[in-house]
Amino acid sequence: MTSRLAIAALTLFWTAGSVALAEEASRPVELPPTVSGLLVRYCVDCHAAGNAEGDVNLQDMSTLAIGGQLDLLNRVQEQLFFQTMPPAEADQPSDEERSTSANWLRTELRRRGASKLDEKLRLPAYGNYVDHDKLFSGEITDAPFTPARRWLVSPQIFAQRASDVFGPPGFGRPASLYGVTNPFVLPDASGVRYYDDETLDGGALLVMLTNADWMSQKQVLGARIKNGELKVEDLPNQQDRWVPKNYSAAFDAIVLKKSAPTDAEITQAVRAQFAGVLQRTPDASELAKYAKLTRDAIAIGGNSEGLRQMLLAVLLESEFLYRLEFGAGAADQHGRRMLAPREGSYALSYALGDRGPDAKLLQAAEQGRLNTREDYRREVLRLLDDKTYFAAEIDPNMGGKVVRTVVSHPRINRFFREFFGYPMATRVFKDPERGLGIYQNPDRGTTGTPGFLVNEADRLVESILRQDKDVFATLLTTDRYIVYYDKAPEVGRQIIAEWKQIWGALKGTPWKTEPEKVIVDNKAALAGHKHFRLPEGPHQKREFLRHMWFFSDYFDKGVTPFTTISTAHGYYINHSPFYNLPPTPLPGRYGATETPNFKGLDDTRFWDYPVEQPFKIENRKGILTHPAWLTAHSLNTETDPVRRGRWIREKLLAGRVPDVPITVDAKVPEDHHKTLRERLEKVTSAQQCIKCHQYMNPLGLPFEQFDDFGRFRSQEALEHAENIVGKQNNLPVYETLPVNPRGALDSTGNAALDGEVKDAFDLIDRLAKSPRVRQSFIRHAFRFFMGRNEMLSDSRTLMDADKAYVQNGGSFKAVVVSLLTSDSFLYRK
Amino acid sequence: MQHRRDFFTNAFLALGGLSLPGFLPRLSAAQTAPLAGGATPMRFIFMHRGNGLFPKVCVPPTLGAAEQEKEKRNDAFEVDLDKHRLPAWMEPLEAHKKDLTIIQGLSGKMCTVGHHSWCSSLGVFKANERPSSIKWATVDFELARLFPSPMEHIELACFPTDGGNARGSLDGIAKGFSARGPQQPNYAFGSPKIAVDEIFKSVAADKTGQVQYQLQRKVLEFVAGHETELARRLAGIEQRKVGNYAGAIDDIRERNRKIDLMADTVRRHVPKLDSKYLAEKMTTLDRQMGHAEVLLASLISGLTNVVSFTVDELGHHYSGIPGIEGENVNMHDVGHGKVIGDIEAVEIRRRTELHHMKVMEKIASRLKSVPEGKGTMFDNTMIFYFPNSGETHHAQGTEFPFIVLSGSNSKLQLGSRYIRLPYWGKEGHKTLGNFYTTILNAYGNPIEHYGDPDVALDKFIRDQRGPIRRFLG
Repeated sequence: MTSRLAIAALTLFWTAGSVALAEEASRPVELPPTVSGLLVRYCVDCHAAGNAEGDVNLQDMSTLAIGGQLDLLNRVQEQLFFQTMPPAEADQPSDEERSTSANWLRTELRRRGASKLDEKLRLPAYGNYVDHDKLFSGEITDAPFTPARRWLVSPQIFAQRASDVFGPPGFGRPASLYGVTNPFVLPDASGVRYYDDETLDGGALLVMLTNADWMSQKQVLGARIKNGELKVEDLPNQQDRWVPKNYSAAFDAIVLKKSAPTDAEITQAVRAQFAGVLQRTPDASELAKYAKLTRDAIAIGGNSEGLRQMLLAVLLESEFLYRLEFGAGAADQHGRRMLAPREGSYALSYALGDRGPDAKLLQAAEQGRLNTREDYRREVLRLLDDKTYFAAEIDPNMGGKVVRTVVSHPRINRFFREFFGYPMATRVFKDPERGLGIYQNPDRGTTGTPGFLVNEADRLVESILRQDKDVFATLLTTDRYIVYYDKAPEVGRQIIAEWKQIWGALKGTPWKTEPEKVIVDNKAALAGHKHFRLPEGPHQKREFLRHMWFFSDYFDKGVTPFTTISTAHGYYINHSPFYNLPPTPLPGRYGATETPNFKGLDDTRFWDYPVEQPFKIENRKGILTHPAWLTAHSLNTETDPVRRGRWIREKLLAGRVPDVPITVDAKVPEDHHKTLRERLEKVTSAQQCIKCHQYMNPLGLPFEQFDDFGRFRSQEALEHAENIVGKQNNLPVYETLPVNPRGALDSTGNAALDGEVKDAFDLIDRLAKSPRVRQSFIRHAFRFFMGRNEMLSDSRTLMDADKAYVQNGGSFKAVVVSLLTSDSFLYRK
Repeated sequence: MQHRRDFFTNAFLALGGLSLPGFLPRLSAAQTAPLAGGATPMRFIFMHRGNGLFPKVCVPPTLGAAEQEKEKRNDAFEVDLDKHRLPAWMEPLEAHKKDLTIIQGLSGKMCTVGHHSWCSSLGVFKANERPSSIKWATVDFELARLFPSPMEHIELACFPTDGGNARGSLDGIAKGFSARGPQQPNYAFGSPKIAVDEIFKSVAADKTGQVQYQLQRKVLEFVAGHETELARRLAGIEQRKVGNYAGAIDDIRERNRKIDLMADTVRRHVPKLDSKYLAEKMTTLDRQMGHAEVLLASLISGLTNVVSFTVDELGHHYSGIPGIEGENVNMHDVGHGKVIGDIEAVEIRRRTELHHMKVMEKIASRLKSVPEGKGTMFDNTMIFYFPNSGETHHAQGTEFPFIVLSGSNSKLQLGSRYIRLPYWGKEGHKTLGNFYTTILNAYGNPIEHYGDPDVALDKFIRDQRGPIRRFLG
């Protein structure tokens, strides 16, 4: 009780002391009785002098400087907000006590610009802390806005901006710049990854110093060559001989001049660099500063090097790396300003792609036609209809790791990639032997098996987006997938028809024993095909035999082969078993068919390839049962029901799971005679574990129907040396135990959907029917396009987007239009 | 002999100029602070070479029958080196035998191996030529951050000029084999001359160098002023978004100022390179020795505490090999066993490796001649020599032999030993990740495990994380 008295005394001390201090920011905090009372009743028994658990001592607050006091109050605020204190076994404050104190603390800390909770809530992981029911209740009538901001460019936008310095695409501009390293990296994680909370730091500066040096060298290289200062063949790095074709006449003029440049020439050069790098004109003060820098540098280093220093300095402007969105004009009655037209043009363009605005959008901004919501709607619809301007890989930043998929609006597809997180499959390394010996990890020159799986998930998403009907539910429940599929159906049909024709004509000939003669005798049957051509020369017999053996594996068995023969150069598509589909032949099967030692083929039954896709696959339901998603949410050697469950809780149910306490060493114990479910349930059933795991396990365990490669299963192999019961295809076969895929669903907002689920398919069906799940999609789309977490004041924007989706038959395009014409998008405060 | 104590304090705070990340520090709080209590820093030299290093050539030839049998079976064992002769190609290290450890049996199957490995062997992940494959900072950079220095880290290389990993020039500055962080390749100096020009440019004697230095200072001053002015007009988060950047530029300027203050010291250590190390047509062997001079000067002057040195790479065309001095030897051919100038490939390997040992010996001897504290600079140094792509030309990554010289203040308990660790898949087997974790843990980075796991090893060893405890003492 002593400590309680101490706290009471402390409060009085602060109050009295505050009068003496003039500076608001440095005034000691005055705790109102509600807050000090709460601390006395629920906290000080464990957090006072002599018993300061976790090194939190509330009793000594008065002895702290204001910085220490604010730090301590921030810690109290977080505990109250996240409801992590008092501990479960201790007396708890009522909801009213908690919220009254939390609100006071937040207001006070905000008033002093010191609320760390506010900063934390800006982070992607804290998006769901905004009350879902309130957001969609309609009771919030605040006018939506986005805080005025600098938003760091994404890695993809940076790549475009850097290239834009050397002119528009085409005209000899390379796809990537040899000497430029992207200073930005997005986190490797499921969920929206590109937020406005990142800050330019020393790391980016160091990378930019090198980038700017290289870029400025290139910007004057053409002129210096013209000036006879150097020759391409004398460049120190002969791999880097590119001379930009687009460089400014203003730079030329200075480099080529034999005397110091005039003020007008310098001004022109500064203007040209601003146009190329910052894509705007400099104001008078900037012009003066940069002109002086140029003149001074020229005086030291001569025209070329002096000019280059100015180019370099502009490239180092932080503005080059930020998107600026501050709004302009008079504030409305809510204190909001609409985006300036130029800002708006960039915001729109970067919402849909990675490039800056096209000519029409820029023109609209310049001519006063980007000032109203209708203006934005017109431009959004126009840009969505334009299938070429933004067309690019979904994520060029992942290029090389994942088979490249070009789409018309990469940012839209990228949302689904990030939301579902399936590209993370490329980050989970597997033991190929466990993957039937055919799983290939990403490596140099190959995307490996996960690359193909990610590509196929991309294509599935794209096919659903093209239909643009019930997009969310279809993504969750479709049983139709795209697998392999490297040719359009009409081409595929033609290939199969030609192959069948050849097989039909030649299968009765002695092609196995007299291939040369068969080729000569059947020239007509082998010729005239669009997609089948036997090479002339030494490889003719080999190719003929390979194809005939390949045909023999299929056509007489009534099975259609994949439309590319497995001996084709660079072929390594063999992952059909990860969908539980029959295998396709490995290249080696036909590799030696022309050699004397070839003894014929075994009678393997291969996959009957559907030329028309998407096609139905048994025991699959939507993206969450796609091998790419399942692999992405797995561990190196086993499944990960906890991560899968957490994903559903957070991404589909708009729920929250507390962070793993630092005292927890989250490991599932080894036991070679139990399933993973049994081991997980054993270790998480303890009281202190289940309070978090209850939010994840029941949602993730139904996916135990699939192994960590994404294969459907009813039995779980107990993979350990002591459980080997035989060998198949040279790989060990293990004892198994039946899979228990039961789980439970809650918080769907619909009692009829909540309850026990019998397996993953049951769970998915219920999720797809839940309005809350639909709204959770919308919330994540909001975060993706706004680059921030939603606030309660964004309620109207979210409800409008949800309404647009529903009223337009589940159109994601309608969601995009709604979001990009919302107040949250248009207004800054 | 030059005593270093006088300029140690400043040495942690200085920096070169505006230009290459290869010698620009990461601007972290840790870096701005000198080591606690003014302690002497450790230095780390990573010398790696391409084309693999055969484990069998690293075995002392005087092993007894029982030990030879264990060696043949790849069973774990160890012997004191003072009771054994070193393999002939390691003889240059004879004088340093008491500081020498030969470690065999570390695997790196989680790395890209085979012809090229990029940042794999220093980063313990599968890397390739694309920066996007770089997962995190390589171990040398992690160590550099534990022992801050003005330039943080310096990388030197005998670049490959063909094969799948070619650089545009032997003599330029190009992407190296270390990484500063995720997706951030480091840059390396290809020739001793360019390394000296860049590393020691703050004390450049020639006019062009001085002008460049002056211009770089000017631009930094301008940009810092501009961004600081912008930040001053902002508040809260927006202020931080620009203020951090402005602050980072100011950090560089401040360090430039301090490096200027230590100009006399730096000037004293500018390597006076023999003309053969500056020649346009320098042999590979001379290039390696020239790089060693730069490496020593950088360490002794206090400009850095960590140097990575790509002694060669598969795509490097070797010249100056004794007996075939006139040949431009394609190391890929050597990897495939080609006889060149009547010399067997194995012998060509031996001659190049012998030279590597001479380079290593030179570095160790020179550091032993520089007094530091109560001993010499070598006491506070570890030198690692290892193949960057495993056990042979087309390696599987089952073995990465390490030849280590460590000074008496090393925190790793290695001793003058030949140590064969349990082979891949056997109980107690250790990976490159375990070895680097050990080094990092020993010097203050508590990381649980550095590097990717070897997923194929999982079925033999369920928990492959953590340090090699016996090396931690």
